[in-house]
Amino acid sequence: MSENKIELLNEAVATGEVDDTVRLTREALDSGIAAMDIIKEAIEPAMKDIGERFGNGEAFLPELILAGDAASGSMDLLIDKLVSEGGESVLKGTVVLGVMYGDHHDIGKNLVKALLSANGFKVLDLGINITAKQFIEDAKKANADIIACSALLTTSLPFQRELIELLGAMGIRENYYVIVGGGPVTAQWAQDIKADGYGFTGADCVNLCKKLVDSGEKPSKIETIVEGALT
Amino acid sequence: MKKPGAGWRLACRFIPEGDITVFVPPESLTATQRLQLEGKAAETGADPVVVPVEIRPDYNRSGAGLPDDVLLRESLASAGIVVKKFQYPVLKELSGTLRQEEKVRLVVRQGDVTGVLHPGEALLGVAIDAGTTKLAGYLLDMETGEILARKAAMNPQIAYGEDVVNRIAHCAQHKDGRSRLRSVLLEKVNTMVQEMCGERGLSSGKIMEAVIVGNTVVHHLLCGFPVKQLGLSPYIPSVGEALDVAAAEFGLDISTGGRLYFPENIAGYIGGDHTAMLLATEQERSNGVVLALDIGTNTEVTLSAGGRTLSCACASGPAFEGAHIHYGMRASEGAIEGVMIGNGKVLISTIEDKPAVGLCGSGILDAVAELRKADIIDTRGCFVNSAAETVGEGMEKSFVLVPRNGSGSGRDITVCRRDINEIQLAKAAIRSGIDILLRKMDMKAEVLDRVIIAGAFGSYLNIKSAIRIGMLPRLTAEKFHQIGNAAGTGAMQMLLSSGKREAAGKIAKNIEFIELNSEPGFRDIFMQNMYI
Repeated sequence: MSENKIELLNEAVATGEVDDTVRLTREALDSGIAAMDIIKEAIEPAMKDIGERFGNGEAFLPELILAGDAASGSMDLLIDKLVSEGGESVLKGTVVLGVMYGDHHDIGKNLVKALLSANGFKVLDLGINITAKQFIEDAKKANADIIACSALLTTSLPFQRELIELLGAMGIRENYYVIVGGGPVTAQWAQDIKADGYGFTGADCVNLCKKLVDSGEKPSKIETIVEGALT
Repeated sequence: MKKPGAGWRLACRFIPEGDITVFVPPESLTATQRLQLEGKAAETGADPVVVPVEIRPDYNRSGAGLPDDVLLRESLASAGIVVKKFQYPVLKELSGTLRQEEKVRLVVRQGDVTGVLHPGEALLGVAIDAGTTKLAGYLLDMETGEILARKAAMNPQIAYGEDVVNRIAHCAQHKDGRSRLRSVLLEKVNTMVQEMCGERGLSSGKIMEAVIVGNTVVHHLLCGFPVKQLGLSPYIPSVGEALDVAAAEFGLDISTGGRLYFPENIAGYIGGDHTAMLLATEQERSNGVVLALDIGTNTEVTLSAGGRTLSCACASGPAFEGAHIHYGMRASEGAIEGVMIGNGKVLISTIEDKPAVGLCGSGILDAVAELRKADIIDTRGCFVNSAAETVGEGMEKSFVLVPRNGSGSGRDITVCRRDINEIQLAKAAIRSGIDILLRKMDMKAEVLDRVIIAGAFGSYLNIKSAIRIGMLPRLTAEKFHQIGNAAGTGAMQMLLSSGKREAAGKIAKNIEFIELNSEPGFRDIFMQNMYI
């Protein structure tokens, strides 16, 4: 029975059925399936699969986005359950995520949110057009591990640098990992501004975040980790 | 490129590891491109901006010791013409010309004398449409409205940024960015003016009036205005009013007394070129429900109905200019401009009928439409397994349009999954703009009486293909009107007529600008429109 629920849930995420996903998630939780199992067996594999199929040209952007929406809907419920059961330590880490100041393109950011939560991160989504100062304030409030900043407009790139410099000026650079991504963002740019990491795709961002929280190194003390850049 | 072969790599993906020498085949520079110059000649009206006045000074009065300018003013007054000012540059030439001939041809602009010509000398004007990618220039006889010469060129600012956002970013990153972007474009405009004059054996010193139209970013860069704020939401222009400046002060090499006019900008990404296009199509848009599009890297869409005019800017990107497409190229010889697929055969047509070397905008649009029609790709743009022979894997999975033994480059000309995706993104942007404007007016596409399509790409695109892929609404053929370079036509109208300048101002004022990204549900509409 429970396998069936997992299968159905996997299917619902893969096909981007947001309402069904939320309903099935509730049913699965109510029937006693552990939140972690739901994530590992239904949500994570579904997102991985659609991500791969997108990378292959077998699925296209709207499908990826809808799957992300569905996964997000499910993860909101699952993360709450996880935290209420086992406290925040079950989560891999807390990420404060947003689109840089001057920019309002959030499709990529929303995908990253879905993927990160599906992979056990608590994500605080700040939205679009976020100043460096706001990123930092919210990171402080949330006691974040990672500040993730995306930009699709070339003109917003300089503010990513500003974010890192501001952390330095405030003497708190070592408190948060700062990662960057988005269309015009390159591994080179991430290295130039001394970000802790760069991810090319959403899936790369997940790997990046896992590596950072597992690294045991302080932010800004390691070389910029580059995940999935074009060679 | 993952597969090695024949020493070719994609220049946009190739990262040099050391010093390299770049060899640019000369053919790529000289092959003339199909740029757009069809703009129609404008009619002269009852309200010309500049008029020539021939006057034979009343020399009987000169015995009274009157200076030349005073004598002229009095002679003009007796002929019923009241002059406010003789502009400074004119005064330097006045006496010389007077003493050569008995009569003199004064150039009068809104009451001021701004130039002096010899009797019978043509009064010239120039109109420039400065697009993000392409420039179009027109040299006119301001008395007859006749187009004496046309010239097209690439906007040299491309070297500093393919699109306007990248140019703004360049300025942010380089201290001399703004001055450089202004000077390269101004230089090019001056060169175009010289070349047009040269073709007809005319002197640019006789050009008394100029009009330049361009999108807001290009306008600001050319005029030396700050662009930083244009790069940040909500993208506010520094200058929106029309400008009337002294050409000499601006750096435009025409008559020293010449003037330069820029019409109003509408929004951060909708500039005077769109104002000009709307002016040129004013009559056509005044009846019924009319959609007007200027398709380019930045596509402006305007919906006119019941006295209201709504406009938006869509980030269509350079795919229709051939960029970001594997075998994409600009519209020059050898570019595939049309494609038909049927009965297992592929038929193509190329510019100048030369052997195919790549695809231009209209070609890739056709290709996607035909691939869909033949069910080789599905509504998501993905290749249908076993529907046809494809090569490659994943995003590089490709359909061969022209095999190497038939192409002009010795390589297969293909369309890959990634290319199709680029076109989907571009057409979704445009269709979403159209859908949102219609929604704002509470109308459905079916009620459209007319769809006006302006711009170079717009002139050559196959309407059926555009409808098939969902870029344009499904309407009957006669409702579509491909009008060529309407911005150029509007610029010429403003060159000749002060009434037209006023009309353009009213149009700009009346426009309701819609910021697409702020519209609820924009994302969902965009995604829906990605389906083919």
